[in-house]
Amino acid sequence: MTGKNFYLLESKTGKKRSGENKNKIILNTRVRLARNVVDHKFINLSSGPEKNVLLKEIRKYIDDVKDFKDFRFYSIKNLGKIQRDLLFKDYMVSPEAANKMQGKGLFIRSGPNWGESTIIMINQEDHLRIQSIRPGLNIIEAYKEVFRIERYFERKISFAFDKNLGFLTASPLNLGTALKISVIAHLPVLAISPMVADFVKKLNQVGYLINGYFVGHSEIIGNLFKISNQVTLGKSEGTIVEEMQAICLNVIDDEKAARIKLKESDPLGIKDNIYRSFGLLKYAKILSYEESLELLSILRLGLDLDIIDGINDFDYFEIMGKISDSHIITDLEMSGRVTDDELDSARADLIRKKILKEI
Amino acid sequence: MIKIQGGSVEKINLCKECAKDFSFLTEKDSNNDLTRILYRFFNSGANEHHSTRDKKILRNISYSRNRKCPFCGIDLKTIKKIGRVGCSNCYNEFKDVLFPIIKSIQGSLENKGRVPIKTSKKIRLEKNIKDLKHKLKNEIVTENFEEAARIRDRIKKLENSIYDR
Repeated sequence: MTGKNFYLLESKTGKKRSGENKNKIILNTRVRLARNVVDHKFINLSSGPEKNVLLKEIRKYIDDVKDFKDFRFYSIKNLGKIQRDLLFKDYMVSPEAANKMQGKGLFIRSGPNWGESTIIMINQEDHLRIQSIRPGLNIIEAYKEVFRIERYFERKISFAFDKNLGFLTASPLNLGTALKISVIAHLPVLAISPMVADFVKKLNQVGYLINGYFVGHSEIIGNLFKISNQVTLGKSEGTIVEEMQAICLNVIDDEKAARIKLKESDPLGIKDNIYRSFGLLKYAKILSYEESLELLSILRLGLDLDIIDGINDFDYFEIMGKISDSHIITDLEMSGRVTDDELDSARADLIRKKILKEI
Repeated sequence: MIKIQGGSVEKINLCKECAKDFSFLTEKDSNNDLTRILYRFFNSGANEHHSTRDKKILRNISYSRNRKCPFCGIDLKTIKKIGRVGCSNCYNEFKDVLFPIIKSIQGSLENKGRVPIKTSKKIRLEKNIKDLKHKLKNEIVTENFEEAARIRDRIKKLENSIYDR
């Protein structure tokens, strides 16, 4: 029962796009806060029954409370493999969370836009995790949402806290503020420019990380990068938010500058590249997820640079979710054994339908 | 393919097949950064250079790998393996080993973030109790038992409000 509802929950108003232009380099923002209940073992050591007790205890503060009435509860152990994968794709819940499912619960509220949600996770890596994701660059709004919920719980639950180490978390990587902010950035030109080395170094020096968002066999797929704060201790929440915001604005500027430079230095080369990708997406009958992302990234660049016409303005982040295996299986209500070719061919159809103005 | 490793970036153009041979990121690695960091400390490779601080950390770890946390029972070996501690008390119990590692990851051991209302209240109350206990001693010394009894009751009340919520 839960499985089916879980999917229905996804917002039907996804068509309403927020801020047409601003989401194109920073695709998505996620703010996540971790808390643990005082005098309890952390999740990796607590037994199934202990987790269930804690889950019940925390649920008590959410169920039937007015502020949380539009949240829906899912017990991870009742979700199938595909639904759990959708959790990762649509709600950015870490894939590890899917293992050892005893006592794990999620409260999810989906926003009106694609890629907008707030989640309260119970018994994931920490007892309580509050996460808010927003389309585009939207750190402050997500941050406010997360802390509004944290303040509510703070009045009900005593959190594990140390005056030197701050909020105590299972992993020392989250100590202190236990606040992680991450954004997904689409950096097709910066990624191949000589500037990138400097850029990564600069980020690392100030305690921020940049990684590939989808990493295949050591290659980064679809020019998607995740930028996040590594340091959580020794900085205040406000500092982390400000620094992250500044870094994102920098990234946008750097990518834009690199794009302009490339367009000026090799106009024919870039046009050729974009139209080749267009040709492949238009005529290919079988498209793997990885290849699709690579091609869509180039096409997105073509749109941003006004180089291509004949295709719809698409939301890269949204399409990225919609063409994943799990989404295709769920959307097309495929059942039984689905072969890779069937999936790849459904994917090619879907992309054509979404991006071509005329088929 | 773009390779980002420890702040340096290399771009190598490879086909997908060749790239497989170049894999340096296993799934485990990307999932668990801490394990990687701990790994650096625990596995002192022959050709790896260690600073004096790293050496000190390594020594601490090898001395105490079987030490257990009295609250949750986890030992350092397991913490190393999973990259996570077992409970709040671990941070106190394995202070000597964990703090240098935390310092090296986080760059600081001083929380500058917010303090929970409840905790700050508790800290305040604990300080109050300490002050009252000191006062109580004085009253007993001066044989002012009536006042001492009053203070004793107040301490009890405060202690109840902290510990028996």
